Amino acid sequence: MKRYLMLLVYVTLLFVSLHYFIDQRAEPITEDRNRLLPVKMKAIKTTDSTAEIQQVVLDANSEEDPIAIAGMQHSQGGHTEYPDGILLDMKPYNKILAFDAEEKTITVQSGATWRDIQDYINPYGLALKVSQSQNIFTIGGSLSVNAHGLDIRHGSLIDTVESLRLLDANGEILTLSPEQNTELFQAVVGGYGLFGIILDVTLRLTDDEMYEIHSEQLQYDDYSDYFNENVIADDSVKMHLARISLSPDSYLKEMYVINYQAMEPKGVPMDPQKLREETLIAVPKFFLGLARLNEQGKRTFWNTQKTYSASIDGKVISRNNVMRSDSEFMEYSHPENTEVLQEYFVPVKNFEAYIDDLRETLIDEEDFNLLNITIRYVEKNEKAVLSYAKEDMFSLVLLINQGTDAKSIEDTGRVVRNMIDVTLDYGGSYYLPYFGYPTKEQMAEAYPRTREFFDLKEEYDPSGRFMNIFYEEYKQ
Amino acid sequence: MNYKRFIVYQGTIGMASSMIFPFYILMLRNVGNSYSQFGWAYGLFALTAAICYPIIGKIADKAGDQLLLSIYSWGMALILLVFPLANEIWHVYILQILMGVLGAVQKNSEKTVLARHVVKETAGKEIGNYHIWTSIAAAAAIIGTGYLVDFFTISSIFYIASALFAWSGFSILKKDKTLSEFQA
Repeated sequence: MKRYLMLLVYVTLLFVSLHYFIDQRAEPITEDRNRLLPVKMKAIKTTDSTAEIQQVVLDANSEEDPIAIAGMQHSQGGHTEYPDGILLDMKPYNKILAFDAEEKTITVQSGATWRDIQDYINPYGLALKVSQSQNIFTIGGSLSVNAHGLDIRHGSLIDTVESLRLLDANGEILTLSPEQNTELFQAVVGGYGLFGIILDVTLRLTDDEMYEIHSEQLQYDDYSDYFNENVIADDSVKMHLARISLSPDSYLKEMYVINYQAMEPKGVPMDPQKLREETLIAVPKFFLGLARLNEQGKRTFWNTQKTYSASIDGKVISRNNVMRSDSEFMEYSHPENTEVLQEYFVPVKNFEAYIDDLRETLIDEEDFNLLNITIRYVEKNEKAVLSYAKEDMFSLVLLINQGTDAKSIEDTGRVVRNMIDVTLDYGGSYYLPYFGYPTKEQMAEAYPRTREFFDLKEEYDPSGRFMNIFYEEYKQ
Repeated sequence: MNYKRFIVYQGTIGMASSMIFPFYILMLRNVGNSYSQFGWAYGLFALTAAICYPIIGKIADKAGDQLLLSIYSWGMALILLVFPLANEIWHVYILQILMGVLGAVQKNSEKTVLARHVVKETAGKEIGNYHIWTSIAAAAAIIGTGYLVDFFTISSIFYIASALFAWSGFSILKKDKTLSEFQA
């Protein structure tokens, strides 16, 4: 009998442990690097003082050291690195400087993460307008890549910025906004840290709302119509996400969509909702692990994703909680392999034909290990010089498992360039924060203002104080 | 507890501890960050074990091996529930001290059971056989866990190992007619 009693005690304590474990899983893992670009820097500087950052720039000017600016370093094409340069780590520069609940604005230093802002504004019933689906990135980093997310009603990140302060190559602080220093403003947002150091940003916020989740399965050739009729035309749908199958049975055919529909407000203002912490990640991590292995694994992974999406249909979630999704299950450590992302934008109306062509391109690439494609929507927006949304687009984020040896890099590069060619054929573009597989010509075609962008860089930073590998590879 | 069950038991706990020990270093890297902290963590483990051996030795002859082995199993099962929650280096130090005590319990009991069981003349062969099975279990666990870490998180490994220890503790407490065989 004693042993059953002991077992009972054990099981109880097991649940206590799991409970606290889930509760405390707060800190996101920051180290990224897809390990394709190990770079030796001269020094790493980090500080929480504006004066010291200014001093770093002045010292670099007199020593003629290039500076690469870094946040969470989740970009994958050397945007935060430069050989023998100074790496300026902005993470500790993360204070919240001002907040106005009435005006719905917040001013934060650029090293703060979206999570920091959410934690701060959630009690006031406020939420972000636009951010990535994950909240682990710094504000400065997200602005520098002009990120977008699940929201389909508030445009791009650039639209939510009231103003920002930039420390330029001369060590001077400038205020930029759509009205002030407009040219520089439009270059800095989506400027990959090439124009100076974003010090702080004033963002416009919106109300936190409750959403009901609707999920549905459909075929890829119905998707554009479905989106036009049921999503964008229905004002109550505030956020949208889709995935397309990579299972051998329904490769690039079957899809599911998840819509977040605003509920009628019951009381004004809404009670602040508890911010959700990351739940146990072992389960998604396990199924993603299977998908890496073989076709059967990809079949299982897709079925699990479908089952999961169906299971959340009808659930209710707050806006803030939608915008803090789990990403840690994607953390992957393998001695010889790594995982890279690609993101392609294709006009909504061309989606069906584009997917058919993409399928054709990938059909014989048996060694190309594509694990997941997530689809979001970006509205036409040409405010940033390097704007990817030349019209209303679907964005496809591809997760690819690849080797780190020269042959694997070459093979993946070939497939990626082929996919980008297909994307460009349909009037699309691709996202710049990822590994430097695309050619200069592809960049120029995807971004018609590429030349202007690099000319502006020359104009505002003639001595090349702010440098990174991306610039080195693509300047033209 | 008969001898066969003892072998199965040792195989199980060998598996469970092999799952965590080589990979435990990954956890330490997250919590601590210097070689001296590594040194202290393992040093404390060995030091507490050293202090405990004389006491454990005496208890073993009075209380019996079965009880000590079950204390070890349940103790480890519970400690491993705390590991995923550790986030400071001093948490790790305390856990290492507790594991030092339990490690000493296990090492001593393993040897006393063997000493009470084997016949002097064939001791070499018997202990050799004993090590074959426990080592195979340990090897399988280490290799398997290497893959598991790819699929699960390091914290899940602690929970899995904890469950294995709990199971071993549960099975070792099973009443057995040949129990007296091992009582001095």
